[in-house]
Amino acid sequence: MATTHRRKPTKAEIRRQKMEAAVLYPIDWLEERSGLIGGLRYFLFRNVPSDVNWMQTLGSAALTAFLVQAITGVILAMYYVPSATTDPHTGQPVAWESIVNISDHLTLGWLVRGMHRWGASVFIILMFLHMGRVFLFGAYKYPRELNWVIGVLILVMGMMEGFTGYLLPWDQTAYWATVVGINLNGTAPFLGPWLAQFLRGGQEISGYTLTRFYSLHMLVIPGAIIALITLHLYLVIRLGVTSPPWSKDAAGGEPEEEEEPSQLRPGLTRPVPRPSGASAMQTEPGGRE
Amino acid sequence: MAAIPKEKPSRVDQARAEFARYKADVKSRGKPFYPYAMFHDTIMSLVVVFTIIGLAVIWKWTSTGPVPHDPTHKGLLGPVVDPPADPGTTSFVPRPDWYFYFLFYLLRIFKWPESVFLGTVGVPTIALILLIMLPFLDRRRVRKPSQRPVAMVAAVLTIISMGVLTWKGATAQEALASEVKANIPRWKAQEHLPPAAYPGVQLFATAGCTACHTYDGAGGQNLGAPDLTNIGSKNLGVQFQINHLKCPSCVNPGSPMPSFASLGDERLKQLALFLEASKGTH
Repeated sequence: MATTHRRKPTKAEIRRQKMEAAVLYPIDWLEERSGLIGGLRYFLFRNVPSDVNWMQTLGSAALTAFLVQAITGVILAMYYVPSATTDPHTGQPVAWESIVNISDHLTLGWLVRGMHRWGASVFIILMFLHMGRVFLFGAYKYPRELNWVIGVLILVMGMMEGFTGYLLPWDQTAYWATVVGINLNGTAPFLGPWLAQFLRGGQEISGYTLTRFYSLHMLVIPGAIIALITLHLYLVIRLGVTSPPWSKDAAGGEPEEEEEPSQLRPGLTRPVPRPSGASAMQTEPGGRE
Repeated sequence: MAAIPKEKPSRVDQARAEFARYKADVKSRGKPFYPYAMFHDTIMSLVVVFTIIGLAVIWKWTSTGPVPHDPTHKGLLGPVVDPPADPGTTSFVPRPDWYFYFLFYLLRIFKWPESVFLGTVGVPTIALILLIMLPFLDRRRVRKPSQRPVAMVAAVLTIISMGVLTWKGATAQEALASEVKANIPRWKAQEHLPPAAYPGVQLFATAGCTACHTYDGAGGQNLGAPDLTNIGSKNLGVQFQINHLKCPSCVNPGSPMPSFASLGDERLKQLALFLEASKGTH
Protein backbone atom coordinates (compact mmCIF):
# COMPACT_ATOMS: atom_id res chain seq x y z
CA MET A 1 0.00 0.00 0.00
CA ALA A 2 2.76 2.38 0.91
CA THR A 3 4.49 1.62 -2.34
CA THR A 4 1.53 2.84 -4.36
CA HIS A 5 1.68 6.14 -2.49
CA ARG A 6 5.38 6.40 -2.95
CA ARG A 7 4.99 6.79 -6.69
CA LYS A 8 6.90 9.63 -8.17
CA PRO A 9 4.96 12.92 -8.08
CA THR A 10 3.86 14.05 -11.50
CA LYS A 11 5.37 17.13 -13.05
CA ALA A 12 2.15 19.05 -12.42
CA GLU A 13 2.28 18.18 -8.74
CA ILE A 14 5.88 19.30 -8.43
CA ARG A 15 5.08 22.59 -10.12
CA ARG A 16 2.17 23.07 -7.77
CA GLN A 17 4.31 22.41 -4.70
CA LYS A 18 6.91 24.87 -5.90
CA MET A 19 4.26 27.47 -6.51
CA GLU A 20 2.85 27.04 -3.02
CA ALA A 21 6.30 27.30 -1.49
CA ALA A 22 6.99 30.46 -3.50
CA VAL A 23 3.75 32.05 -2.37
CA LEU A 24 4.13 31.02 1.25
CA TYR A 25 7.80 31.95 1.56
CA PRO A 26 7.35 35.75 1.86
CA ILE A 27 4.39 35.27 4.20
CA ASP A 28 6.42 32.98 6.43
CA TRP A 29 9.38 35.34 6.20
CA LEU A 30 7.23 38.26 7.35
CA GLU A 31 5.56 36.27 10.10
CA GLU A 32 8.88 34.99 11.46
CA ARG A 33 10.31 38.49 11.63
CA SER A 34 7.27 40.53 12.72
CA GLY A 35 4.36 38.38 13.83
CA LEU A 36 2.11 40.55 11.67
CA ILE A 37 0.49 37.61 9.86
CA GLY A 38 -0.46 36.05 13.17
CA GLY A 39 -1.85 39.41 14.25
CA LEU A 40 -3.91 39.69 11.08
CA ARG A 41 -5.13 36.14 11.52
CA TYR A 42 -6.13 36.92 15.10
CA PHE A 43 -7.94 40.05 13.93
CA LEU A 44 -9.91 38.20 11.26
CA PHE A 45 -10.71 34.99 13.08
CA ARG A 46 -11.17 36.23 16.64
CA ASN A 47 -14.64 35.51 17.94
CA VAL A 48 -17.25 38.21 18.35
CA PRO A 49 -20.50 37.65 20.25
CA SER A 50 -22.94 35.65 18.13
CA ASP A 51 -25.68 38.25 18.55
CA VAL A 52 -23.89 41.36 17.18
CA ASN A 53 -26.25 43.72 15.52
CA TRP A 54 -26.39 45.90 12.39
CA MET A 55 -26.08 48.96 14.64
CA GLN A 56 -22.58 47.74 15.48
CA THR A 57 -21.39 48.41 11.93
CA LEU A 58 -21.54 52.18 12.54
CA GLY A 59 -17.99 52.32 13.89
CA SER A 60 -16.49 50.67 10.84
CA ALA A 61 -18.76 52.83 8.67
CA ALA A 62 -17.26 55.94 10.30
CA LEU A 63 -13.80 54.49 9.67
CA THR A 64 -14.71 54.04 6.01
CA ALA A 65 -15.86 57.66 5.82
CA PHE A 66 -12.55 58.72 7.35
CA LEU A 67 -10.63 56.68 4.76
CA VAL A 68 -12.65 58.37 1.99
CA GLN A 69 -11.64 61.73 3.50
CA ALA A 70 -7.98 60.67 3.66
CA ILE A 71 -7.85 59.46 0.06
CA THR A 72 -9.79 62.35 -1.49
CA GLY A 73 -7.83 64.76 0.72
CA VAL A 74 -4.51 63.49 -0.60
CA ILE A 75 -5.74 63.94 -4.17
CA LEU A 76 -7.04 67.45 -3.46
CA ALA A 77 -3.72 68.40 -1.84
CA MET A 78 -2.02 67.66 -5.17
CA TYR A 79 -3.97 70.42 -6.92
CA TYR A 80 -4.98 72.85 -4.20
CA VAL A 81 -2.76 75.91 -3.62
CA PRO A 82 -3.02 77.39 -0.11
CA SER A 83 -2.23 80.94 -1.10
CA ALA A 84 -4.29 84.03 -0.39
CA THR A 85 -2.23 86.20 -2.74
CA THR A 86 -3.95 87.67 -5.76
CA ASP A 87 -3.33 86.21 -9.18
CA PRO A 88 -2.01 89.19 -11.23
CA HIS A 89 -3.73 87.93 -14.39
CA THR A 90 -7.23 87.45 -13.06
CA GLY A 91 -7.27 89.52 -9.87
CA GLN A 92 -8.66 86.56 -7.93
CA PRO A 93 -7.13 84.85 -4.88
CA VAL A 94 -4.94 81.90 -5.91
CA ALA A 95 -6.49 79.45 -3.42
CA TRP A 96 -10.00 80.19 -4.68
CA GLU A 97 -8.84 79.82 -8.29
CA SER A 98 -7.31 76.42 -7.57
CA ILE A 99 -10.67 75.28 -6.16
CA VAL A 100 -12.44 76.52 -9.31
CA ASN A 101 -9.83 74.69 -11.37
CA ILE A 102 -10.43 71.44 -9.44
CA SER A 103 -14.22 71.79 -9.76
CA ASP A 104 -14.47 72.90 -13.38
CA HIS A 105 -11.44 71.73 -15.32
CA LEU A 106 -9.79 68.76 -13.64
CA THR A 107 -10.96 65.30 -14.81
CA LEU A 108 -13.35 64.09 -12.10
CA GLY A 109 -12.07 66.90 -9.89
CA TRP A 110 -15.68 67.83 -9.06
CA LEU A 111 -16.25 64.27 -7.84
CA VAL A 112 -13.16 64.21 -5.61
CA ARG A 113 -13.95 67.62 -4.15
CA GLY A 114 -17.63 66.77 -3.76
CA MET A 115 -16.78 63.53 -1.98
CA HIS A 116 -14.43 65.38 0.37
CA ARG A 117 -16.98 68.14 0.99
CA TRP A 118 -19.89 65.81 1.73
CA GLY A 119 -17.82 62.97 3.15
CA ALA A 120 -17.02 65.36 6.00
CA SER A 121 -20.71 65.63 6.91
CA VAL A 122 -21.20 61.87 6.57
CA PHE A 123 -18.16 61.27 8.81
CA ILE A 124 -19.54 63.58 11.50
CA ILE A 125 -23.03 62.03 11.31
CA LEU A 126 -21.64 58.50 11.53
CA MET A 127 -19.48 59.40 14.53
CA PHE A 128 -22.54 60.80 16.32
CA LEU A 129 -24.62 57.72 15.44
CA HIS A 130 -21.81 55.41 16.57
CA MET A 131 -21.61 57.32 19.84
CA GLY A 132 -25.38 56.99 20.24
CA ARG A 133 -25.15 53.23 19.69
CA VAL A 134 -22.39 52.88 22.29
CA PHE A 135 -24.48 54.92 24.71
CA LEU A 136 -27.63 52.87 24.06
CA PHE A 137 -25.74 49.61 24.60
CA GLY A 138 -24.05 50.91 27.75
CA ALA A 139 -20.86 49.79 26.05
CA TYR A 140 -18.82 52.58 27.65
CA LYS A 141 -18.88 50.79 31.00
CA TYR A 142 -16.09 48.76 32.55
CA PRO A 143 -13.65 47.87 31.04
CA ARG A 144 -14.25 50.13 28.03
CA GLU A 145 -14.21 53.58 29.71
CA LEU A 146 -10.93 54.58 28.09
CA ASN A 147 -12.22 53.79 24.61
CA TRP A 148 -15.20 56.10 25.16
CA VAL A 149 -12.81 58.92 26.07
CA ILE A 150 -10.70 58.24 22.96
CA GLY A 151 -13.87 58.20 20.84
CA VAL A 152 -15.00 61.58 22.15
CA LEU A 153 -11.54 62.97 21.36
CA ILE A 154 -11.83 61.65 17.79
CA LEU A 155 -15.23 63.36 17.49
CA VAL A 156 -13.74 66.67 18.68
CA MET A 157 -10.82 66.30 16.26
CA GLY A 158 -13.28 65.55 13.45
CA MET A 159 -15.16 68.77 14.17
CA MET A 160 -11.86 70.66 14.22
CA GLU A 161 -11.18 69.22 10.77
CA GLY A 162 -14.53 70.65 9.71
CA PHE A 163 -13.65 74.07 11.09
CA THR A 164 -10.18 74.25 9.54
CA GLY A 165 -11.23 72.75 6.21
CA TYR A 166 -14.12 75.18 5.80
CA LEU A 167 -11.75 78.13 5.24
CA LEU A 168 -9.60 76.50 2.57
CA PRO A 169 -11.75 77.36 -0.52
CA TRP A 170 -11.15 81.00 0.50
CA ASP A 171 -14.63 82.13 -0.54
CA GLN A 172 -16.86 84.74 1.08
CA THR A 173 -18.93 82.37 3.23
CA ALA A 174 -15.85 80.55 4.48
CA TYR A 175 -13.86 83.72 5.08
CA TRP A 176 -16.48 85.49 7.15
CA ALA A 177 -17.61 82.37 9.00
CA THR A 178 -13.98 81.90 10.02
CA VAL A 179 -13.61 85.54 11.05
CA VAL A 180 -16.55 85.13 13.38
CA GLY A 181 -15.55 81.60 14.43
CA ILE A 182 -12.08 82.73 15.49
CA ASN A 183 -13.55 85.73 17.30
CA LEU A 184 -15.86 83.36 19.18
CA ASN A 185 -12.82 81.31 20.28
CA GLY A 186 -11.32 84.57 21.42
CA THR A 187 -14.06 85.12 24.01
CA ALA A 188 -12.78 82.21 26.14
CA PRO A 189 -11.26 83.37 29.41
CA PHE A 190 -7.44 83.34 29.72
CA LEU A 191 -6.59 81.18 26.70
CA GLY A 192 -9.11 82.76 24.30
CA PRO A 193 -7.20 85.78 23.02
CA TRP A 194 -4.03 83.72 22.71
CA LEU A 195 -5.88 80.99 20.80
CA ALA A 196 -7.48 83.50 18.44
CA GLN A 197 -4.09 85.09 17.80
CA PHE A 198 -2.54 81.69 17.15
CA LEU A 199 -5.28 80.63 14.71
CA ARG A 200 -5.13 83.91 12.80
CA GLY A 201 -1.34 84.01 12.70
CA GLY A 202 -1.53 87.70 13.51
CA GLN A 203 -3.98 90.43 14.36
CA GLU A 204 -6.00 90.09 11.17
CA ILE A 205 -7.11 87.07 9.19
CA SER A 206 -4.70 86.76 6.25
CA GLY A 207 -2.67 84.43 4.06
CA TYR A 208 -0.94 83.25 7.22
CA THR A 209 -4.31 82.12 8.57
CA LEU A 210 -4.87 80.11 5.41
CA THR A 211 -1.49 78.31 5.50
CA ARG A 212 -1.92 77.69 9.22
CA PHE A 213 -5.37 76.18 8.74
CA TYR A 214 -4.03 74.12 5.81
CA SER A 215 -1.23 72.72 7.94
CA LEU A 216 -3.59 71.94 10.82
CA HIS A 217 -6.17 70.47 8.46
CA MET A 218 -3.90 68.09 6.56
CA LEU A 219 -1.02 67.34 8.92
CA VAL A 220 -1.63 67.97 12.60
CA ILE A 221 -5.26 66.96 13.12
CA PRO A 222 -5.31 64.00 10.70
CA GLY A 223 -2.13 62.71 12.34
CA ALA A 224 -3.82 62.91 15.72
CA ILE A 225 -6.97 61.25 14.36
CA ILE A 226 -5.00 58.36 12.83
CA ALA A 227 -3.15 57.80 16.10
CA LEU A 228 -6.39 57.91 18.09
CA ILE A 229 -8.21 55.58 15.66
CA THR A 230 -5.32 53.09 15.92
CA LEU A 231 -5.60 53.15 19.70
CA HIS A 232 -9.40 52.93 19.47
CA LEU A 233 -9.24 49.84 17.25
CA TYR A 234 -6.56 48.24 19.40
CA LEU A 235 -8.83 48.53 22.40
CA VAL A 236 -11.86 47.28 20.45
CA ILE A 237 -9.92 44.15 19.45
CA ARG A 238 -8.43 43.68 22.91
CA LEU A 239 -11.67 44.14 24.85
CA GLY A 240 -14.15 42.84 22.29
CA VAL A 241 -17.50 44.25 21.25
CA THR A 242 -20.52 43.98 23.51
CA SER A 243 -23.67 42.00 22.91
CA PRO A 244 -26.86 44.02 22.60
CA PRO A 245 -27.97 44.44 26.22
CA TRP A 246 -31.46 43.11 25.50
CA SER A 247 -30.15 39.97 23.84
CA LYS A 248 -31.50 36.73 25.36
CA ASP A 249 -28.07 35.12 25.42
CA ALA A 250 -25.82 38.13 25.67
CA ALA A 251 -22.18 37.23 26.13
CA GLY A 252 -21.26 37.88 29.75
CA GLY A 253 -24.90 38.03 30.79
CA GLU A 254 -25.97 36.97 34.26
CA PRO A 255 -25.67 33.23 34.51
CA GLU A 256 -28.97 31.44 35.03
CA GLU A 257 -29.83 31.46 38.73
CA GLU A 258 -27.28 29.12 40.21
CA GLU A 259 -29.13 26.06 41.32
CA GLU A 260 -26.97 25.54 44.35
CA PRO A 261 -27.47 22.29 46.10
CA SER A 262 -30.08 23.74 48.31
CA GLN A 263 -30.99 22.91 51.83
CA LEU A 264 -34.60 23.14 50.76
CA ARG A 265 -36.13 20.36 48.78
CA PRO A 266 -36.85 21.27 45.17
CA GLY A 267 -40.49 21.58 44.34
CA LEU A 268 -41.54 23.01 47.65
CA THR A 269 -40.26 26.58 47.78
CA ARG A 270 -38.02 26.58 44.75
CA PRO A 271 -38.84 25.54 41.21
CA VAL A 272 -37.59 22.22 40.04
CA PRO A 273 -34.37 22.76 38.06
CA ARG A 274 -35.22 21.94 34.49
CA PRO A 275 -32.59 20.39 32.30
CA SER A 276 -32.42 22.86 29.49
CA GLY A 277 -29.98 22.85 26.61
CA ALA A 278 -29.62 26.60 26.53
CA SER A 279 -28.75 27.04 30.16
CA ALA A 280 -26.59 23.97 30.18
CA MET A 281 -24.26 25.71 27.76
CA GLN A 282 -23.48 28.42 30.23
CA THR A 283 -22.87 26.30 33.24
CA GLU A 284 -21.41 23.31 31.46
CA PRO A 285 -18.43 22.37 33.58
CA GLY A 286 -16.57 20.89 30.63
CA GLY A 287 -16.98 24.04 28.57
CA ARG A 288 -13.77 25.63 27.39
CA GLU A 289 -12.71 28.59 29.41
CA MET B 1 -17.68 26.09 47.92
CA ALA B 2 -18.90 27.60 51.10
CA ALA B 3 -22.02 26.84 52.97
CA ILE B 4 -22.01 30.27 54.55
CA PRO B 5 -23.62 32.79 52.16
CA LYS B 6 -20.87 35.15 51.11
CA GLU B 7 -20.99 38.93 51.39
CA LYS B 8 -22.17 40.55 48.20
CA PRO B 9 -19.05 41.05 46.06
CA SER B 10 -17.92 44.63 45.50
CA ARG B 11 -18.92 46.45 42.32
CA VAL B 12 -15.43 46.18 40.88
CA ASP B 13 -15.36 42.45 41.54
CA GLN B 14 -18.76 42.06 39.93
CA ALA B 15 -17.62 43.99 36.88
CA ARG B 16 -14.45 41.90 36.61
CA ALA B 17 -16.44 38.69 36.96
CA GLU B 18 -18.86 39.84 34.29
CA PHE B 19 -16.04 40.65 31.88
CA ALA B 20 -14.37 37.28 32.53
CA ARG B 21 -17.75 35.66 31.81
CA TYR B 22 -18.02 37.73 28.63
CA LYS B 23 -14.58 36.62 27.44
CA ALA B 24 -15.43 32.98 28.13
CA ASP B 25 -18.82 33.25 26.43
CA VAL B 26 -17.39 34.88 23.31
CA LYS B 27 -14.69 32.23 23.10
CA SER B 28 -17.06 29.31 23.58
CA ARG B 29 -20.11 30.41 21.61
CA GLY B 30 -19.16 33.49 19.61
CA LYS B 31 -18.67 33.50 15.88
CA PRO B 32 -15.55 34.50 13.98
CA PHE B 33 -15.31 38.13 12.87
CA TYR B 34 -14.49 36.95 9.34
CA PRO B 35 -16.73 36.31 7.50
CA TYR B 36 -19.80 37.01 9.66
CA ALA B 37 -19.39 40.46 11.21
CA MET B 38 -17.08 41.54 8.42
CA PHE B 39 -19.82 40.86 5.89
CA HIS B 40 -22.14 43.35 7.60
CA ASP B 41 -19.30 45.86 7.96
CA THR B 42 -18.49 45.59 4.27
CA ILE B 43 -22.10 46.13 3.18
CA MET B 44 -22.41 49.15 5.48
CA SER B 45 -19.11 50.58 4.21
CA LEU B 46 -20.30 50.25 0.62
CA VAL B 47 -23.51 52.07 1.54
CA VAL B 48 -21.39 54.86 3.08
CA VAL B 49 -19.12 55.20 0.03
CA PHE B 50 -22.06 55.25 -2.39
CA THR B 51 -23.93 57.77 -0.24
CA ILE B 52 -20.91 60.08 -0.36
CA ILE B 53 -20.58 59.64 -4.13
CA GLY B 54 -24.32 60.26 -4.48
CA LEU B 55 -24.10 63.51 -2.51
CA ALA B 56 -21.14 64.67 -4.63
CA VAL B 57 -23.08 63.91 -7.82
CA ILE B 58 -26.25 65.67 -6.61
CA TRP B 59 -24.16 68.68 -5.53
CA LYS B 60 -22.55 68.98 -8.95
CA TRP B 61 -25.53 68.17 -11.17
CA THR B 62 -28.21 70.23 -9.47
CA SER B 63 -25.98 73.27 -9.09
CA THR B 64 -25.35 73.44 -12.82
CA GLY B 65 -28.34 75.43 -14.02
CA PRO B 66 -29.56 75.85 -17.59
CA VAL B 67 -27.51 79.05 -17.83
CA PRO B 68 -23.82 78.42 -17.05
CA HIS B 69 -22.43 80.25 -14.00
CA ASP B 70 -25.80 81.68 -13.03
CA PRO B 71 -25.21 82.92 -9.45
CA THR B 72 -28.88 82.68 -8.48
CA HIS B 73 -29.03 78.95 -9.28
CA LYS B 74 -27.96 77.20 -6.10
CA GLY B 75 -28.96 73.58 -6.54
CA LEU B 76 -30.17 71.21 -3.85
CA LEU B 77 -26.96 71.27 -1.83
CA GLY B 78 -25.82 74.83 -2.43
CA PRO B 79 -23.48 76.30 -5.03
CA VAL B 80 -20.29 74.44 -5.90
CA VAL B 81 -18.22 77.64 -5.87
CA ASP B 82 -18.99 80.75 -3.82
CA PRO B 83 -17.59 84.18 -4.69
CA PRO B 84 -13.95 84.60 -3.63
CA ALA B 85 -13.08 85.94 -0.19
CA ASP B 86 -12.87 89.69 -0.14
CA PRO B 87 -11.77 91.21 3.16
CA GLY B 88 -12.86 94.63 1.90
CA THR B 89 -16.47 93.66 1.21
CA THR B 90 -18.46 93.36 4.37
CA SER B 91 -21.76 92.30 2.83
CA PHE B 92 -21.47 88.69 3.89
CA VAL B 93 -23.56 86.05 5.59
CA PRO B 94 -21.33 84.24 8.07
CA ARG B 95 -22.60 80.70 8.04
CA PRO B 96 -20.64 77.73 9.33
CA ASP B 97 -21.03 74.15 8.21
CA TRP B 98 -24.28 72.64 9.46
CA TYR B 99 -22.75 70.67 12.32
CA PHE B 100 -21.73 73.92 13.99
CA TYR B 101 -25.24 75.39 13.79
CA PHE B 102 -26.07 74.23 17.33
CA LEU B 103 -23.02 76.06 18.65
CA PHE B 104 -23.84 79.21 16.68
CA TYR B 105 -27.44 79.19 17.76
CA LEU B 106 -26.46 78.70 21.38
CA LEU B 107 -25.19 82.28 21.27
CA ARG B 108 -28.70 83.60 20.92
CA ILE B 109 -29.74 82.15 24.24
CA PHE B 110 -27.22 84.25 26.14
CA LYS B 111 -27.34 87.97 26.50
CA TRP B 112 -24.66 90.01 24.80
CA PRO B 113 -22.14 90.97 25.86
CA GLU B 114 -22.22 90.15 29.58
CA SER B 115 -22.75 86.40 29.47
CA VAL B 116 -21.83 85.71 25.84
CA PHE B 117 -18.81 83.70 26.85
CA LEU B 118 -21.20 81.15 28.36
CA GLY B 119 -22.61 80.56 24.90
CA THR B 120 -19.34 80.64 23.01
CA VAL B 121 -17.18 78.63 25.38
CA GLY B 122 -18.86 77.99 28.74
CA VAL B 123 -21.75 75.67 27.90
CA PRO B 124 -19.94 73.77 25.10
CA THR B 125 -16.94 73.16 27.36
CA ILE B 126 -19.08 71.93 30.24
CA ALA B 127 -21.02 69.67 27.85
CA LEU B 128 -17.79 68.27 26.45
CA ILE B 129 -16.36 67.58 29.90
CA LEU B 130 -19.57 65.80 30.91
CA LEU B 131 -19.42 63.74 27.70
CA ILE B 132 -15.82 62.70 28.32
CA MET B 133 -16.56 61.92 31.97
CA LEU B 134 -19.67 59.84 31.19
CA PRO B 135 -18.13 56.41 31.97
CA PHE B 136 -16.90 57.73 35.31
CA LEU B 137 -20.22 59.38 36.19
CA ASP B 138 -22.36 56.36 35.30
CA ARG B 139 -20.63 53.44 36.98
CA ARG B 140 -23.58 51.12 37.45
CA ARG B 141 -23.19 47.80 35.70
CA VAL B 142 -26.65 47.51 34.16
CA ARG B 143 -26.67 47.94 30.40
CA LYS B 144 -30.34 47.41 29.48
CA PRO B 145 -31.89 50.75 28.45
CA SER B 146 -35.02 49.91 30.47
CA GLN B 147 -32.92 49.77 33.64
CA ARG B 148 -31.16 53.09 32.98
CA PRO B 149 -34.03 55.61 33.00
CA VAL B 150 -31.88 58.60 34.02
CA ALA B 151 -29.32 57.97 31.29
CA MET B 152 -32.02 57.46 28.67
CA VAL B 153 -33.95 60.61 29.60
CA ALA B 154 -30.70 62.61 29.61
CA ALA B 155 -29.81 61.23 26.19
CA VAL B 156 -33.24 62.01 24.72
CA LEU B 157 -33.13 65.56 26.12
CA THR B 158 -29.63 66.07 24.72
CA ILE B 159 -30.66 64.82 21.29
CA ILE B 160 -33.80 66.97 21.27
CA SER B 161 -31.99 70.13 22.36
CA MET B 162 -29.16 69.64 19.87
CA GLY B 163 -31.68 68.88 17.15
CA VAL B 164 -33.74 71.96 17.95
CA LEU B 165 -30.63 74.18 18.08
CA THR B 166 -29.42 72.79 14.74
CA TRP B 167 -32.85 73.23 13.16
CA LYS B 168 -33.19 76.76 14.50
CA GLY B 169 -29.72 77.57 13.21
CA ALA B 170 -30.56 76.12 9.80
CA THR B 171 -33.80 78.08 9.46
CA ALA B 172 -32.67 81.32 11.12
CA GLN B 173 -33.50 84.36 9.09
CA GLU B 174 -30.65 85.43 6.86
CA ALA B 175 -30.21 88.95 5.66
CA LEU B 176 -29.40 89.56 2.01
CA ALA B 177 -28.32 93.13 1.37
CA SER B 178 -30.82 93.44 -1.48
CA GLU B 179 -33.74 92.52 0.78
CA VAL B 180 -32.56 94.60 3.71
CA LYS B 181 -32.33 97.72 1.53
CA ALA B 182 -36.07 97.56 0.94
CA ASN B 183 -36.57 98.40 4.61
CA ILE B 184 -34.80 101.77 4.48
CA PRO B 185 -37.87 103.99 3.83
CA ARG B 186 -39.76 102.25 6.63
CA TRP B 187 -36.85 102.68 9.03
CA LYS B 188 -36.56 106.37 8.21
CA ALA B 189 -40.23 106.87 8.99
CA GLN B 190 -40.59 104.68 12.07
CA GLU B 191 -37.36 105.76 13.74
CA HIS B 192 -37.85 109.43 12.78
CA LEU B 193 -34.30 109.50 11.50
CA PRO B 194 -32.86 112.98 10.88
CA PRO B 195 -31.43 113.65 7.39
CA ALA B 196 -27.91 113.51 8.90
CA ALA B 197 -28.47 109.79 9.45
CA TYR B 198 -29.54 109.07 5.84
CA PRO B 199 -26.08 108.18 4.46
CA GLY B 200 -25.57 106.00 7.51
CA VAL B 201 -28.79 104.03 7.09
CA GLN B 202 -27.81 103.30 3.48
CA LEU B 203 -24.42 102.01 4.64
CA PHE B 204 -25.98 100.06 7.48
CA ALA B 205 -28.16 98.13 5.06
CA THR B 206 -25.38 97.33 2.61
CA ALA B 207 -22.14 97.03 4.59
CA GLY B 208 -23.01 93.71 6.18
CA CYS B 209 -24.14 94.91 9.63
CA THR B 210 -27.44 93.08 9.19
CA ALA B 211 -25.69 89.77 8.58
CA CYS B 212 -25.41 89.47 12.36
CA HIS B 213 -27.56 92.26 13.80
CA THR B 214 -31.29 92.76 13.63
CA TYR B 215 -32.85 96.16 13.22
CA ASP B 216 -36.56 96.78 13.53
CA GLY B 217 -37.47 93.22 12.57
CA ALA B 218 -35.02 92.89 9.67
CA GLY B 219 -31.55 91.37 9.61
CA GLY B 220 -29.88 88.05 10.30
CA GLN B 221 -30.45 86.00 13.40
CA ASN B 222 -27.72 83.43 12.90
CA LEU B 223 -25.38 84.81 15.47
CA GLY B 224 -27.80 86.49 17.79
CA ALA B 225 -25.84 89.73 17.84
CA PRO B 226 -27.64 92.52 19.76
CA ASP B 227 -30.69 94.16 18.23
CA LEU B 228 -29.81 97.71 17.21
CA THR B 229 -33.31 99.20 16.94
CA ASN B 230 -32.78 101.06 20.19
CA ILE B 231 -29.03 101.45 20.28
CA GLY B 232 -29.21 105.26 20.17
CA SER B 233 -31.12 105.49 23.44
CA LYS B 234 -28.02 104.25 25.25
CA ASN B 235 -26.41 107.59 24.29
CA LEU B 236 -22.99 106.04 23.90
CA GLY B 237 -21.78 108.91 21.75
CA VAL B 238 -20.65 109.18 18.13
CA GLN B 239 -16.96 108.80 19.03
CA PHE B 240 -17.66 105.61 20.99
CA GLN B 241 -19.54 104.18 18.00
CA ILE B 242 -16.63 104.99 15.68
CA ASN B 243 -14.08 103.43 18.02
CA HIS B 244 -16.26 100.40 18.46
CA LEU B 245 -16.66 99.89 14.71
CA LYS B 246 -12.90 100.19 14.24
CA CYS B 247 -12.00 97.65 16.90
CA PRO B 248 -14.97 96.11 18.70
CA SER B 249 -12.95 94.01 21.15
CA CYS B 250 -10.81 97.01 22.18
CA VAL B 251 -13.90 98.86 23.40
CA ASN B 252 -15.91 95.86 24.44
CA PRO B 253 -13.53 93.13 25.64
CA GLY B 254 -14.42 89.69 24.38
CA SER B 255 -16.66 90.92 21.58
CA PRO B 256 -16.54 88.53 18.60
CA MET B 257 -17.61 91.26 16.15
CA PRO B 258 -15.13 91.76 13.29
CA SER B 259 -13.47 95.14 12.67
CA PHE B 260 -15.07 97.49 10.17
CA ALA B 261 -12.07 99.84 10.00
CA SER B 262 -11.79 99.11 6.25
CA LEU B 263 -14.86 101.33 5.65
CA GLY B 264 -12.77 104.44 6.28
CA ASP B 265 -13.24 107.31 8.73
CA GLU B 266 -15.87 109.22 6.79
CA ARG B 267 -18.20 106.29 6.34
CA LEU B 268 -17.65 105.13 9.92
CA LYS B 269 -18.82 108.56 11.08
CA GLN B 270 -21.93 108.27 8.91
CA LEU B 271 -22.67 104.87 10.42
CA ALA B 272 -22.08 106.22 13.94
CA LEU B 273 -24.47 109.13 13.33
CA PHE B 274 -27.13 106.71 12.17
CA LEU B 275 -26.64 104.41 15.17
CA GLU B 276 -26.84 107.32 17.60
CA ALA B 277 -30.04 108.51 15.89
CA SER B 278 -31.69 105.10 16.28
CA LYS B 279 -33.83 105.75 19.34
CA GLY B 280 -36.31 102.98 18.69
CA THR B 281 -39.66 102.90 16.88
CA HIS B 282 -42.35 105.18 18.22
